[in-house]
Amino acid sequence: MKNLSQSLSLIDLIRKKILVSKINTLVTLIFAALTLWILYLLVNWAFIDAVFGANNRSLCLDPTIETGACWSVIAARWRLILFGLYPFEEQWRAAIACFVIILVAGLSTLSYFLSAKNLSLLWLGGFSLFYTLMRGGIFGLTPVKELMWGGLPLTTFIFSMVIITGMPLAVLFALLRRSELPWISRSMGLVIDTIRSLPLLAILFTFAIVLPFVLPGWLIGDKLYRVIIGFTLFFACYQAEIIRGGIQSLPGSQEEAAKALGISYWHRMSRIVLPQAFQRAMPPTVNQFVITFKETTLVSIIGFFDLLSSANAAYGTALWSFAHIEVYVFVAAIFFVFVFTLSRYGAYLENRLNVTKH
Amino acid sequence: MIKKTNVINISKMNKFYGKFQALKDIDLKVEKGGRIVICGPSGSGKSTLIRCINQLEDHQSGSINVLGTLLDDNIDNIDAIRREVGMVFQHFGLFPHLTILENCALAPMLVRKESQANANMIAMEYLERVKISEQADKFPGQLSGGQQQRAAIARALCMKPKIMLFDEPTSALDPELISEVLEVIVSLAKDGMTMVCVTHEMGFAKKIANRIIFMDNGQIIEQAEPKSFFDNPKNERTKLFLSQLM
Amino acid sequence: MFSLFKSRKNRNKALQIGFVGFLILIVIAFILTARSNLESQGLTSGFDFLDRATGIGLNFSLIPYKSSDTYSRALLIGILNSIFVGAISLTFATFIGIVVGVMRTSRNTMAKLIGTTYVEVFRNIPLLLQLFFWYAILISLPRPTKTTGIFDMFFLTGRGIFTPGLNISGNFVFFAIMVMIATSGFVLWFNYSRRFLKFDEIKKFKIKRIVWIVGLIISIVLLTIGRIPGTELINIPYLKGLNYRGGICITPELMACIVAISIYGGAYIGEIIRAGINSVSFIQSEAAHALGLSNWHKFSRIILPLAIRAVMPTMINQYIWLFKATTIGIAIGFVDFFMVVSTSINGSGQTLELIGILMGGFLMINYLIAWTLNRVNNLIKLKGIQVN
Repeated sequence: MKNLSQSLSLIDLIRKKILVSKINTLVTLIFAALTLWILYLLVNWAFIDAVFGANNRSLCLDPTIETGACWSVIAARWRLILFGLYPFEEQWRAAIACFVIILVAGLSTLSYFLSAKNLSLLWLGGFSLFYTLMRGGIFGLTPVKELMWGGLPLTTFIFSMVIITGMPLAVLFALLRRSELPWISRSMGLVIDTIRSLPLLAILFTFAIVLPFVLPGWLIGDKLYRVIIGFTLFFACYQAEIIRGGIQSLPGSQEEAAKALGISYWHRMSRIVLPQAFQRAMPPTVNQFVITFKETTLVSIIGFFDLLSSANAAYGTALWSFAHIEVYVFVAAIFFVFVFTLSRYGAYLENRLNVTKH
Repeated sequence: MIKKTNVINISKMNKFYGKFQALKDIDLKVEKGGRIVICGPSGSGKSTLIRCINQLEDHQSGSINVLGTLLDDNIDNIDAIRREVGMVFQHFGLFPHLTILENCALAPMLVRKESQANANMIAMEYLERVKISEQADKFPGQLSGGQQQRAAIARALCMKPKIMLFDEPTSALDPELISEVLEVIVSLAKDGMTMVCVTHEMGFAKKIANRIIFMDNGQIIEQAEPKSFFDNPKNERTKLFLSQLM
Repeated sequence: MFSLFKSRKNRNKALQIGFVGFLILIVIAFILTARSNLESQGLTSGFDFLDRATGIGLNFSLIPYKSSDTYSRALLIGILNSIFVGAISLTFATFIGIVVGVMRTSRNTMAKLIGTTYVEVFRNIPLLLQLFFWYAILISLPRPTKTTGIFDMFFLTGRGIFTPGLNISGNFVFFAIMVMIATSGFVLWFNYSRRFLKFDEIKKFKIKRIVWIVGLIISIVLLTIGRIPGTELINIPYLKGLNYRGGICITPELMACIVAISIYGGAYIGEIIRAGINSVSFIQSEAAHALGLSNWHKFSRIILPLAIRAVMPTMINQYIWLFKATTIGIAIGFVDFFMVVSTSINGSGQTLELIGILMGGFLMINYLIAWTLNRVNNLIKLKGIQVN
């Protein structure tokens, strides 16, 4: 027996893993060839034939030279893409602010912050720091109004606000939806299902443009914050269903045992039900965060200067109108980095949950 | 004449689930120190009956009087009763995200407003009583079924209840783990705890019960002392049930 | 007084009434404020504006439209366009999803790699960005005067993709397609519905054949009636001036929407199908092998059907979500339902009514999708209690 296992040489391994059968071999070869060819074209376009340097625009347009990607557009316009119309001298503040939020997100994954209290303190602290840096007006920082915010900081701002205000709201919605009182659970169900079946864009549009009609003058507020409220409502409804799923996956005897011990409703929820429900609902929650981050791009349609519309503006001038692909690839890469990291974390959580379940 | 005080007094109680009647005209009196075992086929309403005693289920008509308090709509009354009545479930109901010690100390801290140190002391005392004090810092998932159920009993005892309700405490256990749990319940009985126990373990019933109740189809068919219940059942249905068990 | 609230029954009633009352109060507050705001601005409310002419142009519609048509017709066109894009994109997305899902669960490492790359790339970039990307590429195609066609029949230009079309009046083509859809729908329902399972097989076959033939005949009759007199059957686009005339023009807006939603949806559906295939129990797979089924049969008859049943509920949610995604067409100027509504708001000022129509329309369509697919789900789902 020992000899058999030793005789599994490299050839055998290759055969087992990659060349399972004749058809398989053929398919693999074709795919491999195709992939290599596409990779060759891409590398050529993106690196070898590409033009770098902010002042080499003329090289890109020169009809006599074969050029690939014109990365000069990025070199020349990256400030506009990343920061929008934020004042030039203060852009370092915006950069630090974004970094703060990234740091906060990274810290959230540590087990020290797994308790609700620590986590909320971390996010509230980080977000206040973010807002102070962006807004200025104190500590000797020049004030920069929300109107001037744009690019990556604006995207981050909208995302953070939606999450921070949306999570508590989602918990409230979930608890109401799970109420034992039929009127409450059914009417809450109606509200949640209605909001969930509407397109997010329509909701944002309504809050931005229609809401001033149905609100008394003093309540109207800034368009940015109206849109954030609409976005938060939408997020809370989806998140409420996720939390509700987590609560429902708990065995019923938990709540009963707590009831039998005489523990009150609020203590039951906060100490027994919700902590466990959140643990179980972590992977779909992270997934929902990822989707929300991508959905922030919709505000560009309503006229906000987020990362996507600043990208459009970057190549929208007569100078650079040919370089749309390069700009889009750059912005796509930025989104990809954020979103991919988040979703990898979600996959890691899901794996851990499956391992600990027995 | 020793006047026996009734700690539980159920009179003409009826319970409905919608149109389905789960309990019919229940009359039940339990005296202090009494040990009642309820048995019967599944679906007979045994669990429903004891769950009405601490109002995990509500009743539609009749009266339930526990420790002198009438159980009706009044929330204060229900809360007061739950503090004095402990319950042990078939599937343990331990909180998996808390250690055994935290499981036991939680209710005294939140409900009886004990300090954390006091609550921990009480918890360790009862964990020793059920002989699993060495598992205090483990999580429920790391314990065997028998250990988990004993921990659940300790948790209920930490509230120092006057009455203990057991809802099929050993039905979810592997056979070799049943005896360790039954031992704990027997020692509780010897210490004078008033208890109502729904179970299929007839040997255990014979040992500790001072009254056995047979239920079928939501009604109490027969009540008797163990000796006369097992040797001389009066009702046909009781005879049928016993013959299937033995 | 306080003792009233100690009663469980009373407290429950009070909480319920309080909550529902609170919701109703909010709605009433909105309505009253809206009324007073509108009055103070001198705007009218009501739905009579629907019969007014719009005066706006729409660059894509399935049924004929002039700018003198009413708002109701414009809204109808918007809904039809949304459904059109939705149906096509969802179909493509499903195909792509099945292919990607299968690739990701195959034993061929290369296929797995390509599948995973596809999913990761297209799921992690926002849909709107992908839409802009494809749109930018499509409108940077060469101008009509500078293209050479494929087989001299298909022309890819920056103004649109021109394909040969039929010289039949639009309304009749529409009805003919509706008839064919109804026929197929009826045959499918008749074939699988439990009500007709007891029918004699041969009788069922005959009925199905008759229905198909009748449907075909009606469609052909409709198409013949609709023929525009004095023209050939097939309409090949030809270059006149700066643009092509004739044929069917697939505008870049439409194309970009379909491509973006299909690719993005395909990535998501691929993930769902992968989960479904993985959820099919290993035991069933082994049993199929033991019976001697070939790999292809094992896949197509055992694994795929079981996987689809497992993921039906998730797919329903995904379809509803993807259909809502068609609203991004407004970003590039595609005339979908949302775009018509927002243009009409600009034109008529009847903001509240139009938003109501928008919400109502989407609610209805989503409810329809959910209802139909739930019926299908109930038809095909596994009966009884599953062991593994």
